[in-house]
Amino acid sequence: MTLWKHEMKMNIKSLLIWSCCIGIVNFGCLLLFENLADTMEQMAKSYSQMGSFSTVLGLDRLSIATMEGFYATELGLIFAIGGAMFAAMTGALMLAKEEEGHTSEFLHALPFGRRYIIRWKYLAMVSVIILFQIIVILWETLGFAIAGEMPEVQEYLLFHGAQFFVQLEVGSVCFLVSAGSRKKQIGAALGLAVLLYVADMMCRIVPDIEKLKYATPYYFSNAADIFTSGKVDCGMLGIGVVITAAAFMCAFGVYMRKDLAA
Amino acid sequence: MMMESKNNIRECRGNEADIAIEIRDVTKTYGKHRGISHLSFVVPKGDIFGFLGPNGAGKSTTIRCMLGMLHFQKGEIRILGMDAKKQTREILRKVGYMPSEAMFYPSMKVKDVIRLAVEARKMNCDSEARRICDLLDVDREKRISELSLGNRKKVSIVCAMQHQPELLILDEPTSGLDPLMQEVFFKLVLEQNARGTTCFLSSHVLSEVKRYCKNVAIIKEGELVKLDSVENLLRSGIRQVKVWQGGQERQFTYSGNARELIRELDTMQVDDVLIEEPSLEELFIHYYQEEA
Repeated sequence: MTLWKHEMKMNIKSLLIWSCCIGIVNFGCLLLFENLADTMEQMAKSYSQMGSFSTVLGLDRLSIATMEGFYATELGLIFAIGGAMFAAMTGALMLAKEEEGHTSEFLHALPFGRRYIIRWKYLAMVSVIILFQIIVILWETLGFAIAGEMPEVQEYLLFHGAQFFVQLEVGSVCFLVSAGSRKKQIGAALGLAVLLYVADMMCRIVPDIEKLKYATPYYFSNAADIFTSGKVDCGMLGIGVVITAAAFMCAFGVYMRKDLAA
Repeated sequence: MMMESKNNIRECRGNEADIAIEIRDVTKTYGKHRGISHLSFVVPKGDIFGFLGPNGAGKSTTIRCMLGMLHFQKGEIRILGMDAKKQTREILRKVGYMPSEAMFYPSMKVKDVIRLAVEARKMNCDSEARRICDLLDVDREKRISELSLGNRKKVSIVCAMQHQPELLILDEPTSGLDPLMQEVFFKLVLEQNARGTTCFLSSHVLSEVKRYCKNVAIIKEGELVKLDSVENLLRSGIRQVKVWQGGQERQFTYSGNARELIRELDTMQVDDVLIEEPSLEELFIHYYQEEA
């Protein structure tokens, strides 16, 4: 618990910056929606007829002129990419920052033990992701309240729930990278978050690479899919959970065997 | 040297409760690179033990193996009777460690770093921490990022000593400390030692080892080259010989029979000669040049 508290303190600044940035962007867009709703009718028609582009963004199924469609196709996207990038960065920093900052000798000279360190650092990462979700939801709720309308609550919460698993999976994979690395791999972590999103886009357009959908968590958490079907593909979510658990177990194994740099 | 370290282990094995550190045939390599090789020695409880060697000799590697930060391939390390591989957490509860690089989280305040170190041990060491901070003139309200190396070292001293550990492991502790603070630091070390704390002092500053340590181990390229009491080392048969011959001065260390040395000097037809006991510095250099 001591280490968890310490990690939360160390991450609070970055958490507030990222969550407030994404929350405020979505909040601002929701305020704009009210003014743009009338002009969006025409735009919605054109957007729905843009072939693959419309398919990828879900504009063929949802109208950008409705609050639900606007949220799923625009704001959901900002949250999905921004949230995954934040989770990736948090995961990548968790363990490697100690060695790069030369604080590992201080930390590992305290009677925590490696098991304790990896467990509480991972829990801190999960807590930070949960808080990130809560802060963004609060900003969005404020936006919905001012705009005077909001998407279906069930679908909205389902989307955020699915996004939590996306962030957890991306964060866990980056946590594994962090366990094996002596340098903060922030670039690689942010790259991974974007790459997984691109993989989702590509596998929706190109049938030959359809199997990529099993590798990217964006597939089961796609806002347009959730808002149109009202459910999350549990099979795909299950794969995501397995990848998350495997990444954590591997991180544990790697970190327990690792020689720590001074 | 192996024989010497085996004797040292055998002598101390009589009563295992009296041993603070037992290192037996430990080997650590980094891939193809040497770390330490077949290192064996014992540190008795209550000792101030000097661990000498130049940079890259394997001093920090040995310490990091003792504290579970590095995994060694061969051998066994027991700290305060506990296995360094299996009981790391229990060992760390009883150990105070001062690393050579005193690095902390830059955004944290000194008082928060000290508190973190004490909370990790689930102890209340407020009064002792305050006392050491006052002695070392540590500003607890400053952020780590505002501190110089010397001041970070002071924070490191507080973190290592505030819980009054059974074993103090000090890795090049005085680098970065001014002479005045070095005095205060050694006063604290002696104070802890008087309370029963064993001190393991890794250093390449020979004067401080000579002044404060009872026993010493000299390590070279990952191997033990000498293990003895400081007193015995200084009284070893090694002599520092200075000769003047035809206006030229020559200096060398000699170990062996005094009669042979005199005979040798006679054949050299020297003008003048000075034979004296070597300083610890000269002994250190002697052991380093012996097999080079």
